[in-house]
Amino acid sequence: MKNLEEVLSAAGNPATMLRNSQIGAYVYPVVPSEFSNWRDEQAAWQKTAVLFDQAHHMVEQYVEGPDTMKLFTHLGMNSFANFPVNRAKQLAPCNYDGYVIGDGILFHLEENKMVFVGRAPAASWIQFHAETGGFKVKTEKDDRSPGNTKGLAINRRNYRFQIQGPNAAKVIEKLNGGPMPEIKFFHMGHINIAGRKVRALRHGMAGAPGLEIWGPYAEREEIRAAIVAAGKDFGLKEVGSRAYATNTLESGWIPSPLPAVYTGEKMKKYREWLPASSYEATGSIGGSFNSANIEDYYVTPYEMGYGPFIKFDHDFIGRQALEKMAGKPHRRKVTLAWNPDDVVKAWRSMLESGDPYKYIDLPLSNFTSASYDRLTANGKQVGLNMFSGYSYNERSMLSLGIVDADIELGNEVKLLWGEEGGGSKKTTVERHKQIEIRAIVSPVPYAKQARASYHEGWRSKATA
Amino acid sequence: MRSLDDVLRAAGQEGKSAVDLLRNSPSGPNVYPGVPPEYTNWRDEQQAWQKACVLFNLSFHMADLYVEGPDATKLLSHLAINTFKNVSPGRAKQFVPCSHDGHVIGDVILFNSAPNKYVLVGRIPALNWIQFHAATGGYDVKLELDERSAARKDPFGRKQYRFQIQGPNAMKTMEKVLGQRPPEVKFFHVVTMTIAGKQVTALRHGMAGQPGFELVGPYAEGDAVRDAIAKAGEEFGLRLVGGRAYSSNTLESGWIPSPVPAVYSGDKMKPYRQWLKEDSYEARASIGGSFVSKSIEDYYFTPWDMGYGSFIDFEHDFIGRDALQKMAKGAHRKKATLALEEADVLKVIGSQIEKGERGKFMEFPSAVYSMHPFDKVSVGGKTAGVSTWIGYSSNERKMLTIAVLEAEHAEPGTEVTFVWGEENGGTRKPTVERHRQMEIRAIVCPVPYAETARKVYSDSGWRKQA
Repeated sequence: MKNLEEVLSAAGNPATMLRNSQIGAYVYPVVPSEFSNWRDEQAAWQKTAVLFDQAHHMVEQYVEGPDTMKLFTHLGMNSFANFPVNRAKQLAPCNYDGYVIGDGILFHLEENKMVFVGRAPAASWIQFHAETGGFKVKTEKDDRSPGNTKGLAINRRNYRFQIQGPNAAKVIEKLNGGPMPEIKFFHMGHINIAGRKVRALRHGMAGAPGLEIWGPYAEREEIRAAIVAAGKDFGLKEVGSRAYATNTLESGWIPSPLPAVYTGEKMKKYREWLPASSYEATGSIGGSFNSANIEDYYVTPYEMGYGPFIKFDHDFIGRQALEKMAGKPHRRKVTLAWNPDDVVKAWRSMLESGDPYKYIDLPLSNFTSASYDRLTANGKQVGLNMFSGYSYNERSMLSLGIVDADIELGNEVKLLWGEEGGGSKKTTVERHKQIEIRAIVSPVPYAKQARASYHEGWRSKATA
Repeated sequence: MRSLDDVLRAAGQEGKSAVDLLRNSPSGPNVYPGVPPEYTNWRDEQQAWQKACVLFNLSFHMADLYVEGPDATKLLSHLAINTFKNVSPGRAKQFVPCSHDGHVIGDVILFNSAPNKYVLVGRIPALNWIQFHAATGGYDVKLELDERSAARKDPFGRKQYRFQIQGPNAMKTMEKVLGQRPPEVKFFHVVTMTIAGKQVTALRHGMAGQPGFELVGPYAEGDAVRDAIAKAGEEFGLRLVGGRAYSSNTLESGWIPSPVPAVYSGDKMKPYRQWLKEDSYEARASIGGSFVSKSIEDYYFTPWDMGYGSFIDFEHDFIGRDALQKMAKGAHRKKATLALEEADVLKVIGSQIEKGERGKFMEFPSAVYSMHPFDKVSVGGKTAGVSTWIGYSSNERKMLTIAVLEAEHAEPGTEVTFVWGEENGGTRKPTVERHRQMEIRAIVCPVPYAETARKVYSDSGWRKQA
């Protein structure tokens, strides 16, 4: 089998195929699992400062040529009316029916040169249109590092670090040998690190300013050492791969929607282009939401929280479909705070005989490339749970999901954890039973304010 | 470069003991590089070694020391509590060197391939001790050290691969991959076999009474051999075991991986401390856990503590002989498995999602957070021993630890208290987040933790009363 279309023809039902994928866990490669310990590493991003090493888990998709802007305008629902060099934006391309294919950050590096950085699906979609759409562009892909390096040398094109947390500005000042450069949010500039002028994107987390920096991969250890040294007095911690992926539970970005590419006649050409070894052909779906219709796993940009990005000021793939959706009620993104008693009940089963509940790994609890769990209220499905883990900062199991428009903050929903019938054939799934876990619908990002106002719920009820 | 002795003296001048140094060392627990954390998932990987079969990849986390020359046997015999009378080419044994005071320095597996030709495999402290004596004792021997992956610039430039195939279906898998019944060979004897067209040296091994093999050959041939075994084992439920499950295996088999090398004290050990560099395992070692003593010697084990009393051969002369002879008549501590009480374990892990101070995070499946775990075990408020390894077994559905207990408290069925976490919020080890200590009730069980233990002792004591 050469491509996704052939893989799907052989497999029959795409949902069944992906739910029983043998790919294993979605790995955040190369970076050590812990530099100190993941609890202190999580605490550091809320209390002091952190260094995220993002050099390995994302694809870089370069596009260069006179039609670069034209290509991204054609794929992006965002407005490109004001996107000069040294700007970045979140790009979430959709299929013709208005469903999300993937998302990531698009950097306008130079005149007629951009790079998209993110998971594979959106990068592949960009490459496909660049190669087949008659655009005057060249592409170059720098793939993510392998999950198991087996001793092979890793050579990414760039290192990519983020300095984040309440003390990030102080660390950056010290590195820069002067005040933190005034760069607006999602604009790019430069800072000085160890005598080098380094390109930087102004980023931020929970209101505190931060920077994403990148440069030639060979310089990574020198840059890292300088940041670690500068951060010493400010409590900076290097974040390992275990804590890294859980950061989004507090910041509220959903990294893993299923790419909406498996259906539709118009998408067939793309499926024939995608190799049989692609993320789309090998990735996995897991969790308690189980539909035979793969389209039930697709999400809209409104549901992912990207509604405000959609600008109908240009023509782009999916525009007509999104225009139709625009006026209707949308499911929306929320954080779910899990009931501690129910979580302990799941853990207790590990110490008892009989089938345990599905293991809840800490701090990242996902066991597939794309997680989909059922959320119900009064026995009725009201949404999907899509990314789960533990926050040492919030002392809670948290997850990100989407819920029906009529579900309000503070409502209690039930999250069904684990898979039906003892579990699918995925390698990450041991035989287990399902458990209903109560969860309080909370805002994204899951901020202090949310804890204060929405933690009443079962806790106060339980003591009353 | 400074020596271990320099490091200890400098610390002493700042009022810090060897214990202070080791308990606050920046070194994390031993790592298991080269294999992914999980091939499938650690629960199924654990269950496979009890129910089907597993392939352990031991190619990366241990050091190999080659010892060859006219004085090889003389040197090794001088350092070992064991006899060499029954050592002959094609045989292996557990090699246990002690300090002059009769405390364990380490333990490794010794393979004898030809007269006066050996390779010793395991944690580095025992191997460092051999190298020291080879370098300073006037022996006619040649040594070559092949360091573990984590301690070398080319982590995957190992000389040899090393696999184990274990579990109740191990022999069926071997038969399939060999195309014939595996050769009949005694425990800890070596044979040669051919797998995937490659010549493989095989040590007859075993786990929990089930026969298995340890397989060794040139590193470059490892992938071919492993792939052939994995394929042959498919129908027998073989699983490759990843880094997370691997180190928890010993909780069920009962071997103590982590004695503190008894090198930090004693005048007679001083030349060795001067020889050991500041970047050695010994100088960088970490101790973690609730057991605190001012004296580093309280962290040493005797051979009896570790279950090696029967290895001691007083017929030959060896370092530590006089001290061990004196100890022989006295009381000895005993190795035991502790099965931690479910409700108390749940309190620890539940504290992660409650208000108030949290307990030390209990990692699954291996809850070890230093190179040498030492947790206090007490009875009626009095120290009854130490616990040295901890983790979860999804086969036994229990948190288990390997402990060394005073004989009077080592009887299976005894109720003891295990203290989890470090005092005063925790030491400065990077693996230690601020936490509070928590007590966990535990039942003393045999080593290895066998089915009989589960049946006989699970209904005793507080469980029955509750």
